[in-house]
Amino acid sequence: MNSILKLIRRFVGIMVLSFVLLILLNLSLLAAIAARQAANQSPWTIAMETAQALKPADSGFTVTSEAFASLRACGAWAVLIDESTGEVVWQTEDLPVTVPMHYTYSDIAALTRGYIDSYPTFPAASAYGLMVLGFPRTSYWKHMWPSWDYQLIAHAPQIALTAAALNLILILLIYLTANYRLLRSVQPLASGIQTLPSGEPVFIPEHGLLSELASSLNRTSGLLQSQKYELRKKETARANWIAGISHDIRTPLSMVMGYAEQLKDDAALSRGQQKKAAVILRESERMRDLVNDLNLASKLEYNMQPAHLRTENLTAIVRQAAVDFINADIAGKYPVEWTGNQPQIPCTADVDRELLTRAVMNLFHNCRNHNEEGCTIYISIRRSEASWDIRVEDDGVGLSDEELNRLRDASQGAACGAGIDGQRHGLGLQLVRQIASVFGGEILMDHSNYGGFSVTISLPAADT
Amino acid sequence: MSADYLKQKRILLVDDEPDLLTLVANILRQDGYTDVRTADSFANALHQAEVSAPELAVLDVMLPDGSGFGLLKRLRGFTDCPVLFLTARGEEEDRIRGFGLGADDYMVKPFSPRELLYRIAAILRRTYRSEDPLVELDGSRIDFARAEVIRDGEQIPLTAKEFALLSALCRNAGRIVTIDALCTAVWGDNPYGYENSLMAHIRRIREKIETDPSHPVSLVTVKGLGYKLILKSRK
Repeated sequence: MNSILKLIRRFVGIMVLSFVLLILLNLSLLAAIAARQAANQSPWTIAMETAQALKPADSGFTVTSEAFASLRACGAWAVLIDESTGEVVWQTEDLPVTVPMHYTYSDIAALTRGYIDSYPTFPAASAYGLMVLGFPRTSYWKHMWPSWDYQLIAHAPQIALTAAALNLILILLIYLTANYRLLRSVQPLASGIQTLPSGEPVFIPEHGLLSELASSLNRTSGLLQSQKYELRKKETARANWIAGISHDIRTPLSMVMGYAEQLKDDAALSRGQQKKAAVILRESERMRDLVNDLNLASKLEYNMQPAHLRTENLTAIVRQAAVDFINADIAGKYPVEWTGNQPQIPCTADVDRELLTRAVMNLFHNCRNHNEEGCTIYISIRRSEASWDIRVEDDGVGLSDEELNRLRDASQGAACGAGIDGQRHGLGLQLVRQIASVFGGEILMDHSNYGGFSVTISLPAADT
Repeated sequence: MSADYLKQKRILLVDDEPDLLTLVANILRQDGYTDVRTADSFANALHQAEVSAPELAVLDVMLPDGSGFGLLKRLRGFTDCPVLFLTARGEEEDRIRGFGLGADDYMVKPFSPRELLYRIAAILRRTYRSEDPLVELDGSRIDFARAEVIRDGEQIPLTAKEFALLSALCRNAGRIVTIDALCTAVWGDNPYGYENSLMAHIRRIREKIETDPSHPVSLVTVKGLGYKLILKSRK
C-alpha cells in the first residue's frame, strides 16, 4: 500500500510541477510578445509622430520625409481633417478612393474607436486639425469596447490566483478520474507482488486494465506454490526416511548395547574380552547418539520439529542435564563442576526445555567422546550484555588452533569432516548450533582456560 | 529402604522382539528380580496380565497385533500397576500420548540397561513405598510412615518440609537430585530464590540423620548442582 501512495504522490507532484511550468512558460511567452510589440512602433505612436511632423506648405500641408518613410514602411495612408469644417484638407497620395472626404463628429468618434471601410484607423491631434492614419485592413485588430469593471481590475491578483487554483483543481480532478481505474487495477497487483516473497498463495481477480498482469502474477504464484509443495514433499520424505531408519536401528542397537554391557561386567570373561565388550558398548552409545542427533538435526533443518518456546529458568535446565549426565556416569570418569552463575538473578530465556537439554547434553557427550581417559567438565551460566552464556568446557585434550579455526569456519558442522583425535566433531555441534539458532542464539567455540575445549551457547535473555 | 521386597514384584515385559525380551528379562533377573514374565504380542500380554496381575509392566508401543498405547488402555480396565514404555518411538507426541494415558515413565530405545534398572527401581520404590516405609541409612533409619528418623534408638521427628525433601531424595536414592527439583518438591512450581532456605533444611536433616553432620555420608552435596541420598544397601 505504501508504494501505491508513493506512486500517487509522485504523479500528483509531477502534475503540479507541470502546471507551474506551463504557467511560467506562458508568462514568458507573453513577456516575449509584449517586448516584441514594445520594440515596434505602435500605430498610435505613428499617428502621433505623423501629426507632429505635419507642417504648412505652399500647396497646403506636408510631412517630413521621415514621417513619409514611416507611413510607407507600414503601408498606411493619412488624412488631415479640419476641425471646424470636417473636410479633409490634406491626404497622402495612396488614399483609397473609398475613404470619405468629409467627416461629422460621429464619424470621427467612430473612426477613433474602429475602422473606416475596414481600414483600422488611429487619430492624433495636430496643430492644424485631426490627423487620421489608416493602416492596411489585415494589419491590426482593434478593441471596439475596451473597458472593464473597476472591481475586476482592483482585485486582479486575487482573481488570477483563484483562477489558477481552480485550474489546478480541475486538472487534478481530470487526472484522478482518468487514473482511478488504473490505480484500482494496480493496487491488487502491488499487494500481490508484496505477498509473493512471503510464500503465501496469491490470487488477483483477472479483470480491469491490467488483467494480463494479474493473470501472470496468479500463474507465478501457482508455480511457486507447487514448487514449494514439491520441495516440502521431498523434505518430508527425506526427514521421514531418516526417522524411519533411526527408528529401525533402535531395537537392534538396544540388543547390542544390552549384551555388550552384560559382557563388560561378566566376571567369567577375561579382562581382554571385557575390554572388547566395553569398546562395543562405547561405540554403540556413540551410534545411538548419532542416530538421535541425525534424526533431530534433519527435523530441525526441515522445520519438522515443533519448538515450544517458553520463558524458562536456564539454571534448572542446565543443572538437570548435568545431573542426568553424572547419574549415568557410573565410573565417575567425567565429574561435572558447577563453576558459577549469578544466583541473585533468575537466568531466564525463551527456550524449548527439551531441545536445550539436548543441546547441553550433546556438549557433555562431546567432552566424553573426545576424552576417553576422562576429564572434568566445568559448567557455568553468566550474563553477557543482553544474553545468557551457558558455557560447557573441560580440562581434556582440547584441540589445536588449526582445528578450532576449522570448526569455527565450518558453516555446517558436518562439513568439518576431518577427524580430531580420530573422531568427528560433526553432527553433535551442528545440532547444538541449530538448537541455539531456534532460540535466536548462537554458539561460540574456544580453548578452555582449564586446558580443554570450550563451547558457549549464547541465548537472548528473556528480560531484555 | 530394604530393596529386597521390591525385587519380589511381578514384572511383565511386552515386546515383539523375542531377543530383546530375553535380554531385558536377563538384565532384570541378574539384578535380582525374581518374578519376570514376558509376552510378545498384545493378546499374550493381555492374557498374562489377567492371569498374573503384574505389579509393573514394561511395554513396547509397536506390537504385531496392536499398539502399546491400546494395551495400556485395556490394562487400566482392571489394574493400576505402574507402566514404563520402552519403545523405539521417541517422538514428542508419542511420549506425550504415553504419559497422557497414565504411563509412569517413557524410555526410548536404544537404552542403557543400567538406566532401565534405575528407572524400574525408582518406579517400584515410589509405588510400593508404603509397604515398607523404613529406609536404612548408614547411621540412621527413616520411617516415612511415622515421619521420623531413628538414630541410636532415639526417635527424631521430621518437619513437613524435611519429610518432603527426604521423600524426593529417597525416590531418587543413589542419584543426584537438582537443587531446583528439590525446591520444587518443597515450595512448588516457582521455586526460584529458595536455595538458601534449602541449604538450611538440608543442614537440619543432616543433624538428624548423620552421625557426623559436618562430614555427611548419607546426604551428600554435589556442589552447585544438587544432593544425593545414599542408602545403606546401595553403598
